[in-house]
Amino acid sequence: MRFSDARASVPALMAEEIDREADAHAFRLLARWMNGYSPLVSLDGADALLLEITGCDHLFGGEAAMATRVSGRLAQPGYTHQIAVAGTPGAAQALARYGGTGNAPQILPSGAERSGLCELPVQALRLSHEATTLLRRFGLTRIGQLCGIDRKALTRRFRSRQAADAVCLRLDQALGIRLEPVAPLRSPPEHAWRLACPEPLTQAAGVEAGLQQLTQTLYADLSGKGLGARHFVFTAFHSDGQVSEVSAQAARPVRAPDHVLRLFRERTGKIDPGFGIDLLLLEALRTGPMDMGSRPLSGDLATTGVDEVALSALADRINARLGDGTVRLIHAEARHVPDKAERNGAFTGELPAAEAGMRDMQGLRPVRMLGRAERVDVIAQVPDGPPLSFVWRRVLRRVARSDGPERIAPEWWLHLPGQAARPAGLPRTRDYYRIEDAEGRRYWVFREGLYDDRRGQLPEWFVQGLFA
Amino acid sequence: MDIATLKTKGLLRAVSAAPASPAAFPFGLGVAGLHEVAEASYGDRAAVTGFVLAATRQAKQGAWLWISQTKLTGDLGHVSQAALRQMQAVMPQRLNAETRTLGEALWAVEEAVVSGAVSLVIAEVDAADFTATRRLTLASGRYGVPVILIMAQTREGATAAATRWRISPRPSAPNRYDPQAPGNPRWRAVLERCRTAPNATGSSFDLEWNDETLSLSVVSGLAAGPAAPRPAQRETPARRRTG
Repeated sequence: MRFSDARASVPALMAEEIDREADAHAFRLLARWMNGYSPLVSLDGADALLLEITGCDHLFGGEAAMATRVSGRLAQPGYTHQIAVAGTPGAAQALARYGGTGNAPQILPSGAERSGLCELPVQALRLSHEATTLLRRFGLTRIGQLCGIDRKALTRRFRSRQAADAVCLRLDQALGIRLEPVAPLRSPPEHAWRLACPEPLTQAAGVEAGLQQLTQTLYADLSGKGLGARHFVFTAFHSDGQVSEVSAQAARPVRAPDHVLRLFRERTGKIDPGFGIDLLLLEALRTGPMDMGSRPLSGDLATTGVDEVALSALADRINARLGDGTVRLIHAEARHVPDKAERNGAFTGELPAAEAGMRDMQGLRPVRMLGRAERVDVIAQVPDGPPLSFVWRRVLRRVARSDGPERIAPEWWLHLPGQAARPAGLPRTRDYYRIEDAEGRRYWVFREGLYDDRRGQLPEWFVQGLFA
Repeated sequence: MDIATLKTKGLLRAVSAAPASPAAFPFGLGVAGLHEVAEASYGDRAAVTGFVLAATRQAKQGAWLWISQTKLTGDLGHVSQAALRQMQAVMPQRLNAETRTLGEALWAVEEAVVSGAVSLVIAEVDAADFTATRRLTLASGRYGVPVILIMAQTREGATAAATRWRISPRPSAPNRYDPQAPGNPRWRAVLERCRTAPNATGSSFDLEWNDETLSLSVVSGLAAGPAAPRPAQRETPARRRTG
């Protein structure tokens, strides 16, 4: 029926555009909320959710009780829905889509797929339109009729092999003869602890207390396995279908309750209990064995003098408050170019070992390195003299004394043809000069390229750093 | 006579500066308490950094935490690991923290001091009022972790820090091997405020850093004349007569 026809019979009819993006977003939120019932939730098309509830149903008192509970929760915000529980994903979706009317959940015991599905139409097998049309022409409209036919006879009726295989595959998947892979939206956590609240929590203090209780369980569990975790996710499932999630990271595996609590201290404030929270979930990701080596009794006996555990605890606290990746460590890289030789990376709880003495052979290095070399306008002797004056940051600096050049050859091995990550242009030699201007400020300046290297334009000058 | 004999006879002995005392240079900088080091004018940040690294001697091996505000690092660059290796006898393990705001930076300083995981905290910040410096001084004294605040030339006003230095670069020492090349770096350090030795307030030090011995020495000022060596008298070669 067209809309104009419908409005002719019901004049008060309203029309609204479908906002598919908003729908998809809301649907994803609902899927996230379903993690409160099972860690494995996947989307089935644009209108169905698939929950793997193996091992989860006993938490809610069995399959029937769980289905009733989910149904009640969905009915609260006013969702029309149809729930089916079955032994295979294919059977469950067939029952949910075509199984019946009304909100009553349908439970099909495992192994009873053949009898449970036989009355359903063949469309329930997720077949293509052509396949269903063809089957209908043969008079096969029920799944039960398909089960009765010999496979060879069924295959022969289709023109192409693929179409026949597709029908057999879907039938087998629904009956549990062939396995159906399911891709969950979130990968299941390695370790998770849940705290179901008998009464919905409405106070922030309740959330704190719940987290405290969960960290105690976490500590007991992980200690038994000798593990610690570096990433924690704390999720609160609200009774109105909202989900709040906060996460915290640690530099090295930890499990001590006060440490974990401290990581979350700045962040649990983001969880607004709203109409009430009925489930708290704490997940531990990136678990690893904990370093339980004994500490030296006296500081003099320590080999490094640096307490890495205390240091990473400090880094965790700063990261928890000021954002992940605030604390950084400069890693040495085996590169010739000075600005690439040091990489500013995240601190992962381990300090680099002392470097070999090889690096002492290099010349004097500036105390401050600019984030990126800054181009300067230079007056210098051609072709390879030191600068006489240069303009850096709009100020003319007259060179009083200079030392150099220290020639740093380009890394030709990065510019080989056929290299995947090959920088544009040909590599150019750099000549570095130590410069002192008339006011006593000292700079590290380099000329990129030579006048006769035939690699691009005229050489350019840059400031790389500042000497003390 | 070889060196071992000279040493046993007491004719040759290692020369080193007097042990650090709060009443003598560097007045406890990097040893205990809170200290401020400020630029004399914009662009002296490299000299300030060099002075801090040169004057700080690690009493015991430990980790450093270098805190800076993101906008300052973007403008003035970061302290390179290579320079740290060249200026410190024992290479310290150093963690960097970049914070967005001043408040976060000061919070991180206090957190690091209280944690006891680091042996020195250096922070590059915009400003710090009297309350903040007092708070950090108390924390530093209680937990025994020295703190150095590196500040811009605009730094004025009251502070609770033990000392405040103002550093400006000076033309470097003459280079013995090449008169055209810069020599050892020199700085002028003015002690603007000093709580531990009030008499020393206002004194000025002309310092020279030796990158081979890793020592900082006081150089005397020049009364007159240039510091550069006299250019060698070049003899005009007599023209060879031909023919």
